[in-house]
Amino acid sequence: MTINHHPDITTLMAFSAGTLDEPYAAVVATHLAMSEGGRESLRQINAIGGALLNDEPEAELSNGALDRLLDSLGDEDDRITVTEPAAAQARAADALPLPLQRYIPGGLESVRWKWTGPGVATADLAWGKDGRSRLMLLRVAGGRRVPEHGHGGQELTLILQGAYKDRFGVFAKGDIADHDEDVEHQPIAEPGEDCICLVAVDAKLTFQGRLMRALQPLFGI
Amino acid sequence: MYALNMTDQTIGRTPVPVDTDDLSGLLLRVAELRDKAALAALFSHFGPRIKSMMLKLGSSDAVAEDLVQETFVSVWRKASMYSQQRGAASTWIFTIARNLRIDQLRRQSNKPYEDLDDLDMASDAPLGSSLVEQNQIIERVTKALTSLPVEQQEVVRLSFIHDMPHAQIAETVGIPLGTVKSRLRLAYERLRPMLEDLQ
Repeated sequence: MTINHHPDITTLMAFSAGTLDEPYAAVVATHLAMSEGGRESLRQINAIGGALLNDEPEAELSNGALDRLLDSLGDEDDRITVTEPAAAQARAADALPLPLQRYIPGGLESVRWKWTGPGVATADLAWGKDGRSRLMLLRVAGGRRVPEHGHGGQELTLILQGAYKDRFGVFAKGDIADHDEDVEHQPIAEPGEDCICLVAVDAKLTFQGRLMRALQPLFGI
Repeated sequence: MYALNMTDQTIGRTPVPVDTDDLSGLLLRVAELRDKAALAALFSHFGPRIKSMMLKLGSSDAVAEDLVQETFVSVWRKASMYSQQRGAASTWIFTIARNLRIDQLRRQSNKPYEDLDDLDMASDAPLGSSLVEQNQIIERVTKALTSLPVEQQEVVRLSFIHDMPHAQIAETVGIPLGTVKSRLRLAYERLRPMLEDLQ
């Protein structure tokens, strides 16, 4: 798998800082699980956090803080290691990327699709909190067009299967399209198998004005 | 270095002088030898810094203290997952504190991060730079960060330390979101040559 489209560096920085809403973090993590080079970039960016932590002023800890810590430590047995199933899943070539398995435990076959237009179906993925962003799957039949749409906020789209083409190029498995709110584009699925994408969008803003109208046929809201 | 002024009652309990040149070595001692004195040394170096970071999120003193405690319980429990691949001790401990912050203060799932960690554990891609080199690189990055133009430093700190999403930074500083991103990009480009040495 050759990955040609990567997240914007500022998106990786926000992921590393931990400030992305969970749906966006889930899409970035799933992409990184498919991209060794992306994980290398993340390791480098994490070092910014390490350097900043080193540079933090020291806030005085309460008396006995260290004692409290040492008293609360268990014995050897409480150490955490990678579970063998997780490692095995991580190695299985045909499995969904590890971070995505949490959201689709039954695999893509288990997804309940909702028809949202000719050749287009979507499925919302549940996440822990009723936030303003949505995590969803988008399935577009080969050769079909996704209705033209702008974005109410940042839209992150990761290709899980198949490919699509728009004015930014061809996006295939592992590629991520990282678009700001001012981007308009009209993806067309490449001929052949269905194109399945994992998408994070800002839900609140999709209900507003022009964007709501533009997104209605796409997201069925 | 652990032998200063220790009495029977205070062994392992007295704040010990920390060899900050080898924080990663201390973490390896925790990982491999379950060395509580090494953990105590890491605590006395990083604990007050993590507390400072947590206080900036508006948490109370008590909550910040609890998060420091939880960070180090995690360091203790997960130390066996620490390796050269994870980078310098400060980087690894930052990511542990960040994951707790997502879980406890943001109340969202940090599982996407933990799953990526598991993946990295399962892969054995070699890393060129030694821990000593990585520590030196972190020091250079720290220096470079403090020499960035003030407006770039500000957005980087608001993001990584103050836990602000980019849109919130834009609002707080009073600049467009695009400007937040361009400042982050400029900061990254300045740090990039050092960061790439981490490979």
